[in-house]
Amino acid sequence: MSGQRAYVASVGMTPIGDHWGKSILDLAVDASRGALAGLGGKKVDQVIVGNMFSAVGASQEHLGALVTSALGLRGTPAFKVEAACASGGSAFNTGYRLVKSGAIGSALVVGVEKMRDLEPEEASRALAMAESAEYTQFVGATFAALNGLLARLYMEQENVTRDELSAMPVLDHANAVTAAHAQFRKAITPEVVSRSALISDPLRLFDCAPVGDGAAAALIVNDDALAGAKGGHVEILGGKIATTEFSVYEREDMLDFLATKEAFKGAMAEAGLAPGKLSLAEVHDAFSVVGALSLEAMGYSKRGQGSKDAKAGKYSMDGELPINTFGGLKARGHPVGATGMYQIAEAFLQLAGKAGKNQVEGAQYAATQNIGGVDSTSAVHVFGRAS
Amino acid sequence: MAIQYWRIRDRYYRLIGSRCGACGSEFFPPVYRCKKCGSEDIADREMPRTGKILTHTLLHEPLPGFEALAPFYLAVVKLDNGAKVLTQIVDSPPDAVKSGAKVRAVVRRAKVDGDSGQIFYGYKFVVE
Repeated sequence: MSGQRAYVASVGMTPIGDHWGKSILDLAVDASRGALAGLGGKKVDQVIVGNMFSAVGASQEHLGALVTSALGLRGTPAFKVEAACASGGSAFNTGYRLVKSGAIGSALVVGVEKMRDLEPEEASRALAMAESAEYTQFVGATFAALNGLLARLYMEQENVTRDELSAMPVLDHANAVTAAHAQFRKAITPEVVSRSALISDPLRLFDCAPVGDGAAAALIVNDDALAGAKGGHVEILGGKIATTEFSVYEREDMLDFLATKEAFKGAMAEAGLAPGKLSLAEVHDAFSVVGALSLEAMGYSKRGQGSKDAKAGKYSMDGELPINTFGGLKARGHPVGATGMYQIAEAFLQLAGKAGKNQVEGAQYAATQNIGGVDSTSAVHVFGRAS
Repeated sequence: MAIQYWRIRDRYYRLIGSRCGACGSEFFPPVYRCKKCGSEDIADREMPRTGKILTHTLLHEPLPGFEALAPFYLAVVKLDNGAKVLTQIVDSPPDAVKSGAKVRAVVRRAKVDGDSGQIFYGYKFVVE
């Protein structure tokens, strides 16, 4: 793609969890202020909010102007981008495209979700709205149910065991222990997963990402805007959103994550990187099975091997390709519309050498993969340490 | 909810999906464009009412409005014409609900609207 180079100059985020005392706007402002600090007082050209269900979760729409107004950014264009759980990654991609193309010099992208104000079953209903109202919600299927169907198919067709499926949540929890913003900073064993409550058989509580509140933001800049920024920036090397057949049960092969396959291939091609060059990846494991199928779609594991490879240590911090270096969706948390932005903020921390105890030594390149629905939308971005 | 349901009630009662006029492929839910050949020559088609379970799950944490049923079975059923349907499995012994089991469509009460108490009917499947 022609145009100018684009960078993440700074990021901001709130811890993920139960923010009983904070509104959706409080959270968005907290994260945005952190990211804007990198602009050195200059005015940002565009604000984009990634969010999935503020209308249901907080009776609030029109988030773009709500956020600019609160930040005192009068006159700044702003809008919300929604693509279910891929809202954060999709909002970021919009900002990246605008800067990269030369249309603007800087963009603040903030992903935010307020989930805990809802009763658990109401949160479940809000999430289900990412799926077909007429043929998925109508029959009473939740997101966990769709992924339960997928998990059984994966286990039966690819001979995957319960303990292999548990490897991804175990990995996530191990990495989250030292992550300040993570929702659950506690290591677990495979037995904790296999003894947890059944949610949608064979999926259990510890196969599923939790419900939580949070916001994460990034400031995207071109070379001119970067000049005023305080060091430690990271270059955005590539980014692509792809979509595929909407509902997983409509697909010829339910285990083939075509949106992720296409988005990952496209983003890596734009970055000009061979798959072996990545130092780490932040993977969208909203459910244990989704993490495994994502790694297979990205080509790091062969078909049926995603969970087995995770169990063998391939994706651990000291493995071939560390993933979910701050805990992934299961342990860092999954405030849906914000999740993609947490992944990007984490990739930034790794490449800027600011990951503290979670640092992947010598990290050069990182990818983030953010899914909406059961891989109906996938937004992948690739970042490089600034030279 | 009521109008949204009324508009496609026949699809729920009689499993009306789509048939491609160009290649003959059949789909449920209905499509706007053939997934096999890309043709937009699409007409309504009543689906066969029998098929096999491709995968299944027992849902313990239901959506609002489905609490009275919990836990209940959901499955992806591959119909005899190759179309795949997401559906509840009802009136079947637990050990019969397994991948490969033969099932048939029935009409059952699907949902009761929370505000008006209106009853919606739709397809579910039973193991044969």
